[in-house]
Amino acid sequence: MYRSPSSASLMRQSPRLPARELSAPARLYHKKVVDHYENPRNVGSLDKTAKNVGTGLVGAPACGDVMKLQIQVDEKGKIVDARFKTFGCGSAIASSSLATEWVKGKTVEEALTIKNTDIAKELCLPPVKLHCSMLAEDAIKAALADFKLKQEPKKGDAEKK
Amino acid sequence: MWGWRAGALLRGWGRRLVGAPGRRLLSCHAASQAGNSAPRCWKCGSPRGPARGDGLFCPQCSALQPPDPTRDYFSLLDCHHSFRIDTTKLQRKYQQLQRLVHPDFFSQRSQTEKEFSEKHSTMVNEAYKTLLAPLSRGLYLLKLHGIDIPEGTDYEMDNQFLVEIMEINEKLAEAQNEAAIKEVESTVRGTRFGVISQDLHGDFSLRGENLNDVGGMEKQKQGWRTKQVYENCESGEEDGRERMKE
Repeated sequence: MYRSPSSASLMRQSPRLPARELSAPARLYHKKVVDHYENPRNVGSLDKTAKNVGTGLVGAPACGDVMKLQIQVDEKGKIVDARFKTFGCGSAIASSSLATEWVKGKTVEEALTIKNTDIAKELCLPPVKLHCSMLAEDAIKAALADFKLKQEPKKGDAEKK
Repeated sequence: MWGWRAGALLRGWGRRLVGAPGRRLLSCHAASQAGNSAPRCWKCGSPRGPARGDGLFCPQCSALQPPDPTRDYFSLLDCHHSFRIDTTKLQRKYQQLQRLVHPDFFSQRSQTEKEFSEKHSTMVNEAYKTLLAPLSRGLYLLKLHGIDIPEGTDYEMDNQFLVEIMEINEKLAEAQNEAAIKEVESTVRGTRFGVISQDLHGDFSLRGENLNDVGGMEKQKQGWRTKQVYENCESGEEDGRERMKE
């Protein structure tokens, strides 16, 4: 039986500050971040071959984080489902988890307006983790772009064959 | 401070800068004469002069001097300024330095020296840790040459590579037993990771002596990004094994 990965398995480190942050004043993960880590929302996958599914896959090499965000859109252009899988720090996981919560119920156009600063503010991310929220914003945009590409007429495919 | 710093610079770069050191020392000295105070011991006020014990102690009163935070790790641990280093020698130098600066040896000294010793010891630890592991050593070397891997999304990352990393991480997250983890391990280490590592180390070592090759450095940057991601896979393996114990 497939056991969907809990966020505990998604997180490489326990909620401890990575070594490079030890020079900053000691800081714990904000409770909102811990909440997303312990009670993940929308972890999983959608069928990436489906025409109404957009998949965004982004990476941040400096910290080695990888984030996948998928959206399912109905005929009216409204996002009806979203899933994510993120391998990285707690802030990255929380940012993508929150992103999937926020895109649900929005149209494709509305989802484009989600900003990393809003995500960071909602999760009270410290300055060193702002890039995690940016990664989530990029994942949303990548998923939307992938979806839009799939809606385009197929003459491109015909040329490839 | 100039004399001390110039001394440190000489030790690190002297081998390569034939003729230049004398000139550099003079110009530092000139600058110090121009207005800055000459390097003096904080305790006895005598000029620092010729370095004793790696420039750590005052030649007159033996008081521990403050660390130079701008000193690069290679010169601090007396290593060749290149990727290929002698890790045995590194370890020996590390232990030697800690025997001189560790706070345990300053418990009876003044508060100022205690604080300096803490800073020295921390810096030596940081330097040793950075230079010991190939990944951090490579990244540090790139940083010294002004090449930083910026934080945040890399928009040019190869999609296929990301898919591969996702799959590796997912397999690790789902692994139910040691055999499954070992399988992922052999994939990561054996095929791609192993090949990339060898390429990087070999390439870096060859290039190590000529780090002005911009094209080469860009390629190094790409390579080290990849290596970082693979190292994260390794910690994923560790986490998997931790999970098995629960």
